[in-house]
Amino acid sequence: MSVSTRRLQKELTDIQKQGTPVGIKLLNADDFQTWHLSLEVLGDTVYQGEVFALKFRFDSSYPISSPAVQFVVDDTWKAPVHPHVYSNGHICASILGNEWSPVLSVISVCVTLQSMLASCKKKELPPGNDRYVKNAPENPKKTRFEYHDDNV
Amino acid sequence: MKVHVKNWHAIAQWRWDTGASDADDDGEGDVCGICRVPYEGCCPSCKMPGDDCPLIWGECSHVFHMHCLLQWIGTAASKQQCPMDRRPWVTAERKVAKQGR
Repeated sequence: MSVSTRRLQKELTDIQKQGTPVGIKLLNADDFQTWHLSLEVLGDTVYQGEVFALKFRFDSSYPISSPAVQFVVDDTWKAPVHPHVYSNGHICASILGNEWSPVLSVISVCVTLQSMLASCKKKELPPGNDRYVKNAPENPKKTRFEYHDDNV
Repeated sequence: MKVHVKNWHAIAQWRWDTGASDADDDGEGDVCGICRVPYEGCCPSCKMPGDDCPLIWGECSHVFHMHCLLQWIGTAASKQQCPMDRRPWVTAERKVAKQGR
C-alpha cells in the first residue's frame, strides 16, 4: 500500500468519524486517486447561495507532494468568480503551490479555500484569465503561478 | 506456605518521550503530522515501530517520524522548512532522560 493510500485512508476515517466543517461535504472518495468535495461559503458573502465542487487528485507521494486541486467546471458545476480562480477552475493559491506543507490535508485545504472565497468583496476574474485558460495545462500543478497578493 | 510460580507473563509498554505532558494527551494528539500515524507506530515505509523508526525533534519543538521528516526535507519544495511553522528546520540535540534501572 502506498504512502498516499495510508494517509488518505486516515483522512477518510476522520471525515467519517468526525464529519466535515460547515459548508464542506465529501461528494465522493471512491478511490485514493481522486476525491470530490462540495464547498459553500456561509453567511453574508458575494457567493451567497452558490455551491462549488472541488476536485482533488493525489499522486502516490501525497502528502509529501501537494494534491492537484481545482474547481470543477462542467454541466453541473461552475467555478466561483474570484480574482484567484480562473474560469477553467484552476486556483492560484500559495498553499497549493510553493507553500504546500505535508501537515495540510484535504479538509484543511477546503477550509483555506472557503475562507479565501469568504473574504472576497467583489466578483472578478483574475487578470489575464482568457489568455491563461487558452494555454493552461490540464493539471494545475504544472502551472507556475505567481502569488502577488495575500489579501483576497 | 510455599508458593511456586509456575509461569508468568511479562507485559511492557513503551512510549517515546516527546516532552509533551500527559495533560496535553487527549488520547489522539500524539500522531506524526505528516503521516498521521501515532509516534509509537512507524512511518509508512517501515514495518516495525521502535528504534528502527525513530522520531526527530526540531529546535522549533515540533516532532515527526524521522523518515517522514527526512522525506519532506529531501524535496526542493520543502525549502528545508519545518512543515508546521515553516521555520528553517534545525534538528534539536535531544537529551534522553536517564532511564531508571
